[in-house]
Amino acid sequence: MDQSNKEHRKKSEKATAKKKLHTQGHNAKAFAVAAPGKMARNMLRSSDVNERKLHVPMVDRTPEDDPPPVIVAVVGPPGTGKTTLIKSLVRRMTKSSLTEINGPITVVSGKRRRLTFIECPADDLNSMIDVAKVADLVLLMMDGNFGFEMETMEFLNLAQHHGMPRVLGVATHLDLFKSQSTLRASKKRLKHRFWTEVYQGAKLFYLSGVINGRYPDREILNLSRFISVMKFRPLKWRNEHPYLMADRITDITHPELLETQGKQIDRKVALYGYLHGTALTSVAGARVHLAGIGDYSISHVEKLPDPCPTPYFQQKQEEYERERMKEEGVAGTGAPRRRKRLDDKQKLIYAPMSDVGGVLMDKDAVFIDVGTKNGEGASFVPGEEKGEGEKLVTSLQSAEKSIGESFNGVGLQLFSNGQELHAADEVADDLSDEENEASNGKNVGRKSLRKPRIYGKSVQEDDAEIDGLASDDEGDNDAFDDDEDHQRRLVEIDFNSGKGESIEPQTDSEFELSDHEEDVWSRSTASKLQGTKNRRRKWDIGKLIYMDNVSPSTCIKRWRGVEDDDENDENADDEEEDFFSKKDGAITNKSEADDDLEKFKPHFETFKNLMSKWSNFDSIKSRLVGTSRPTSTNKETEGGDGDEEVYGDFEDLEEEEGQESAGDDVDEDSKQDSDDNDSEKSFADFEEEEKLDLTVEQEREQNAAKKENMRLQFEMEEGENFKEDDPNNEFDTWYELQKAKMAKQLEINAAELESMTPEQRQKIEGFRAGSYVRVVFDGLPMEFVENFDPKYPVIMGGLLPTELKFGIVKARIRRHRWHKKILKTNDPLVLSLGWRRFQTLPIYTTSDSRTRNRMLKYTPEHSYCSASFYGPLCSPNTTFCGVQVVANSDTTGNFRISATGIVEEIDATVEIVKKLKLVGYPYKIFRNTAFIKDMFSSAMEVARFEGAQIKTVSGIRGEIKRALSKPEGHFRATFEDKILLSDTIILRSWYPVHIKKFYNPVTSLLLQNKSEWKGLRLTGQIRAAMNLETPTNPDSAYKKVERVERHFNGLKIPSSIQKTLPFKSQIHQMKPQKKKTYMAKRAVVLGGEEKKSRSFMQKVFTISNAKDEKKKAKKQDERKERLKKLAKLEEIKIEKDKERKKKYFSENGRKRQHADAGGDSGSHKRR
Amino acid sequence: MSTPRFATFQGCRNFRLLIVLATLSGKPIRVEKIRSDDLNPGLRDHEVSFLRLMEAMTNGSSIEISYTGTTVIYRPGIITGGSYTHQCPPGKPVGYYVEPMLYLAPFSKKKFSVIFRGVTASHQDAGLEAIKWGLMPIMEKFGVRECALHTLKRGSPPLGGGEVHLVVDSLIAQPITMHALESPQISSIRGVAYSTRVSPSMVNRMIDGARKVLKNVGCEVDITADVWRGDNSGKSPGWGITLVAESKKGWRYFSEGIGDAGDVPEDIGALIAYELLEEISKSAVVGRSQLALAIVFMVIGKEDIGRLRITKSQIDEKFIWLLRYIKQIFGTEVFLKPVDDADSDDLIATIKGVGFTNTNKKIA
Repeated sequence: MDQSNKEHRKKSEKATAKKKLHTQGHNAKAFAVAAPGKMARNMLRSSDVNERKLHVPMVDRTPEDDPPPVIVAVVGPPGTGKTTLIKSLVRRMTKSSLTEINGPITVVSGKRRRLTFIECPADDLNSMIDVAKVADLVLLMMDGNFGFEMETMEFLNLAQHHGMPRVLGVATHLDLFKSQSTLRASKKRLKHRFWTEVYQGAKLFYLSGVINGRYPDREILNLSRFISVMKFRPLKWRNEHPYLMADRITDITHPELLETQGKQIDRKVALYGYLHGTALTSVAGARVHLAGIGDYSISHVEKLPDPCPTPYFQQKQEEYERERMKEEGVAGTGAPRRRKRLDDKQKLIYAPMSDVGGVLMDKDAVFIDVGTKNGEGASFVPGEEKGEGEKLVTSLQSAEKSIGESFNGVGLQLFSNGQELHAADEVADDLSDEENEASNGKNVGRKSLRKPRIYGKSVQEDDAEIDGLASDDEGDNDAFDDDEDHQRRLVEIDFNSGKGESIEPQTDSEFELSDHEEDVWSRSTASKLQGTKNRRRKWDIGKLIYMDNVSPSTCIKRWRGVEDDDENDENADDEEEDFFSKKDGAITNKSEADDDLEKFKPHFETFKNLMSKWSNFDSIKSRLVGTSRPTSTNKETEGGDGDEEVYGDFEDLEEEEGQESAGDDVDEDSKQDSDDNDSEKSFADFEEEEKLDLTVEQEREQNAAKKENMRLQFEMEEGENFKEDDPNNEFDTWYELQKAKMAKQLEINAAELESMTPEQRQKIEGFRAGSYVRVVFDGLPMEFVENFDPKYPVIMGGLLPTELKFGIVKARIRRHRWHKKILKTNDPLVLSLGWRRFQTLPIYTTSDSRTRNRMLKYTPEHSYCSASFYGPLCSPNTTFCGVQVVANSDTTGNFRISATGIVEEIDATVEIVKKLKLVGYPYKIFRNTAFIKDMFSSAMEVARFEGAQIKTVSGIRGEIKRALSKPEGHFRATFEDKILLSDTIILRSWYPVHIKKFYNPVTSLLLQNKSEWKGLRLTGQIRAAMNLETPTNPDSAYKKVERVERHFNGLKIPSSIQKTLPFKSQIHQMKPQKKKTYMAKRAVVLGGEEKKSRSFMQKVFTISNAKDEKKKAKKQDERKERLKKLAKLEEIKIEKDKERKKKYFSENGRKRQHADAGGDSGSHKRR
Repeated sequence: MSTPRFATFQGCRNFRLLIVLATLSGKPIRVEKIRSDDLNPGLRDHEVSFLRLMEAMTNGSSIEISYTGTTVIYRPGIITGGSYTHQCPPGKPVGYYVEPMLYLAPFSKKKFSVIFRGVTASHQDAGLEAIKWGLMPIMEKFGVRECALHTLKRGSPPLGGGEVHLVVDSLIAQPITMHALESPQISSIRGVAYSTRVSPSMVNRMIDGARKVLKNVGCEVDITADVWRGDNSGKSPGWGITLVAESKKGWRYFSEGIGDAGDVPEDIGALIAYELLEEISKSAVVGRSQLALAIVFMVIGKEDIGRLRITKSQIDEKFIWLLRYIKQIFGTEVFLKPVDDADSDDLIATIKGVGFTNTNKKIA
């Protein structure tokens, strides 16, 4: 029994190993890397992950405190449960159920968050494009039982090229799976497919079944929680443009206009909605794009009270109100309650186009809910009224045109002043009507639901008041102003809003008092000086500057208070006249030169004045580094100076360093004396002394103020913090630095805007994102109003100055790989670029090694090419996508997005060429010269191409020399070698291609059937429709190539050349054989039959040869004769020629004689 | 696409500025009544020449001048830049043409490299040193780093014969948002006195005159002599001086002047020195002649708020016209508020940029 066991290992080894660990006095394991490779890999991976998280830092311009609602778009093919999902979510968030979903629904979802749900029409590509541009979050619905459908894929691709919003997948219809295993498998399949489309690990929700017309509560709860905590990155396009999704629209055209001029007139339409993106400018006439309608100018914008404020905002309002109450001495209602959950009261919903419970008032209309809360047994149904009130309402509903409306108008006109009553022309009517409507809405609005949410004076009123004041002097947008004024007045009368302050006098002149504080100040001073009529006003330069009816010189005089006051009170018109009447005098010329920037040099006083003024530099001492300053006495008397020094203490360390290094010129004495702003070490103690005078509190206060000041200063003042080049700045990475800079700038923006009065703020900033506005457009097409369908989103996008211009856009474009066909140049393509959707005719090009842009007939199969098209310009780096058809009826089952691309460059013109090959054939060849025919048809054409490079097919290069005189269009050309007569000559040239200036906006919202917009058809479609054949050039047809076998003679090298050739190039020939071969040695003797035949043949040949000779001789003779004849003829011809020449020259000579005799003075002159 | 609406302006005031602002904003403008009640109505030679220059530096812009020359319609195109040589008519010096180019050059498609030929100095318009040391540092503050004006030849009025080369190599997307809240301290005064075709002693006398005035200023004064001889000195005799006060952070104030026949060089030197002091006293962060450039660059900045300190005396008629024109074209207003410092009556001009970006530039 031989059993070999493993040898026993001794225990002691382990002990030694452990001992070894403690070699250097400490545990080696504790201070060394156990697995360096793994560690390195881990580090690599973690840094990789971290880097991938980084994005190019971008400023987020959404306001922090009251952001606009998040737009949640629910997208999916028909029958995937979009409506059900919205209903479930709305029910979950607001406890109210909707029966129908029309237009955006805004709900409050959290303390500081609102959501706007929008259902994207499933079968409309246009709406999908628009929704992809504005949605912050997309709930991508898919039928889990079916899988992905074309719409889903299309939407994902659209979204990707408009800045990719966040996408949450929602798979429904999962209850239709019978077995658990198939459910699991298909879930997994769906998920992975979704991941490849969006990103790895993208969230996909599964909703199982529908209970009571809603999805299961638990699943919806999860989904809503997920939505409410979601964070969003700023998207570039939306961060640069203001935009708005219309909650509702109202046609506010004057009904009388409609009556008198018919329904076909352009309408005045108001859009309502929350502003998103950047601030919308408050200047009237801003251009915006209404997707699906076109470009329009805003007639006016107005901020309305938020119909759906967040609890946070409400709380702030409450606090504000409470404070005000306190100020007024009214007992407070108690401390604010802090809530963790939303009250039911706060769970607001705003969906003016859908049927939400409750009555809703707005400026232009009143909404009455006609359904009950649970959605069944609707009231206000004509014929089924449930009471007297309902009857009244239904009868009103049935009335075509209520008398009350006109009645209302009259009543309010009575209310306003008499002048307006008399103004009977159309415009005034229009205005007054608007006022009526406005005031009407206002009047009722105060008593409406919304009232409790408005503190003291609503934002709107405030704005209105401001607007009214500011625009008085402008006087161009009367409509707007009047409107405002009336509102304001009404407010004053109706509610006596109790602001405590009286209204400013309603002057139409330009004298305004600056801002609020100053206003108050001036009034108080004015009251002091009541006795004297001559009271002094303080002018705000900020306002004066922009009063166009005040000349700048007067502005300055008034501001500086130089002028007499009575002139101040003068009417603006007078002044204007004054100004203009002066104009033709010499004085104006002088002043004109003075205020003209054409004159670069600023105005200076005369030499003498300057000399006397600058006899000493006291006034600019503070501006000069290291100069002496008159010290002790000055300082002690001035209290304010001390403050400044304290400032100086904080001032700038950098300055000090620099000064020390550069302060070489400064003499020591002055240095000691100076108590300049800069901190000098020697003065530290001195300042200390001064500081002792202040109490600690005061000092602290000062320091705090200074700190605050410093906080808002930027890099230049900040010192070290933002120095990019400085390695010692407090930021580790460039990324952090940029982030910090942006944060700082935003902070400054906020602080600066905060410090302005609301009026100024509006002017400087415009309408902020998040504000609920009413945007009025004049002259929208009537089709928009008539064919309005709330199911289709209406989007207004602001346009930057570049986007208003039209030109050539050069873009990089690629056919979408799922699109079935390649795209053809000059075939119409609907592009979705920026806010716009438009049809244009792109020309596809490629760049021939950057020397030229060559036209391509078709896009390449799989790679990018360039495309140039005419259209509205858009800043480079904007991505876009193109579709060929948007109409549903033209849609096949295929993927519709045909191209995707990015704008590379914009320009007014572009140079595109296509290749043009001209072909000719030689007909006479000399050594290197050949005459070419068939390339041109006239000598002039040849002249155009003189010197052009040509080439034979075999590759011999040449040049066009000169046109031949005789056969028109033939020319002489030289080549680098002798060409063959059978060669084809090719001239390669480039022919410019012009872009067709075709721009056709997709006006889908103007149609009755929104998804049936048809623009220009593709060439192929037109041909198919008209049953035309594609024209073909027979030359272009592919035929079987038949080539004649060519015979080339062997190369013969003259022996003289052969001799001189180098050995290597010599032709090696075998020597002639010297020895006779076997066969040669043997003689062949003829005999018999063969000999006979041979001799016979010989005889025959001899005879024929003799005959031939005879013939030849005869011919020779004939030829001689002929030559003689020809020579004779030639002689005669020469003779004739001579005569002709003689005659010609004799005539010509005489002419010249005449010329010489007639104008010899002229010829002299010519020389 | 609707017909473009013009912003309409009256008179020839700020003509170049209007054209520049229109080009930057892309808005078509109409200037009416240009010297309509003058004996010689309509556009002058130099203005037409300027329009030509604009046409050369842009692509797709259209200029319509009425028959009498009193009305101009300008539809701006795209700023393209590139190389060009401009012959300036003798009425105005090259500075007249270079100055507006500074507004446009950083926002063009290609790098600017323009040679201007003509007179290089005058009493009214920007001189070469004023541009080089006065305006270009302002541009540098806004992020335009690589810009230079090379003097190839000097040409004094009336005959000129000078040649300058404007090179702007940095094409920026948008100017940096400015925050200049403190009046900078002047650390040194520099200058250059030049002469063409006259005795170099004139230069030295000018320097003496200026030095005498600036003797007690206390900071370093360094004025260099720049005497031009031979072919490069143009066709006419002339001399002038430019003084620049500079701060450590790169802000500059300047004054300049040229001498006429019969002027005493010392007086000119002294006058310019006094004017420099006056300019310093009247300006906060930028001088009066730099203000327009700074304000325009702030207006076309990012949609952030920029701040610039100005003095009360800087608010003059020119300034008001500038702001009014900016408002008319860009729709932006400047907000002025006093500094929170009891001692000074300076103001802070707060401007929110219009969010302009250089869309002319090609990507990659």
